[in-house]
Amino acid sequence: MQNPTTINPDEIRRYPPGDLAIWVFILAELLVFAIFFSAYAFTRMNNVELFNEFQLTLDRQAALINTIALITSSYFVVRAVLSVQEGDNQWCVKWLLAAIGMGMIFVVVKFSEFSHHFGNGINLSTNTFYMFYLSLTFFHFMHVILGMGILAAVAYKAHKGGYTPEDHIGVETGASYWHMVDLVWLILFPLIYVMR
Amino acid sequence: MDTFTHKGKRAATIVYVILITFTFITFLIGESGASSLNISLFVLALALIKGELVGAYFMGLGGIRGLWRLPIIIWLFIPGSLITIAFYLSAST
Repeated sequence: MQNPTTINPDEIRRYPPGDLAIWVFILAELLVFAIFFSAYAFTRMNNVELFNEFQLTLDRQAALINTIALITSSYFVVRAVLSVQEGDNQWCVKWLLAAIGMGMIFVVVKFSEFSHHFGNGINLSTNTFYMFYLSLTFFHFMHVILGMGILAAVAYKAHKGGYTPEDHIGVETGASYWHMVDLVWLILFPLIYVMR
Repeated sequence: MDTFTHKGKRAATIVYVILITFTFITFLIGESGASSLNISLFVLALALIKGELVGAYFMGLGGIRGLWRLPIIIWLFIPGSLITIAFYLSAST
């Protein structure tokens, strides 16, 4: 099989970018989140008033900032992949560090949200809405932390000149994972914070 | 290679602008306090379109031939459908 990273970007490829193993992991993670989202929606069916009432206690502006941060970081990661395809490892590192910076914004804002809720005595057993809200967002939060670690490792290797236009599967693997983290949040944000 | 990456940058930037625009529309709908089945489904539709754009252009699945094009589309379709059914049933009871 031809290495996907050596293929002209305009050619039609048969395999997704990055290591195939990360895609098995990504699909497994997406399945878990799909079950979570569906469970939230069907549990809400029998608790509409409760869900609508406590949804109003969430900080939608914080969620907006976090959504923009994740989308922007995903865009920066795309630019990092394109930079390494051009053979520009320096810019690849810069884009990756910018993406990690956006991830840090997400972590700080989300951490302040969690602190606010826990400071008000809210926990998983407060009610069904908060059980879903806290478990879903914390599970996603852990994925953001892991993703930042992966991007940092990729940036370090890029800094050391470890990637070339012909061989940068590591960058694409890290990028694919980070886009998955972004993708999940794009559904989570409207479902938990807006839809009522 | 430069031509290819130039096209990639342009496509990614356009998608980024669309994603941010859809996000602000979603936020403003939330802030307006509007609540109905149609509004919820519109917000969900925006989210699913955003998800497909991320899958196709950011994750790079849009240019793939064969089954690997499908996982993200299927992932968006299944929970998207279940959420739609759940919200529809909630509104009709």
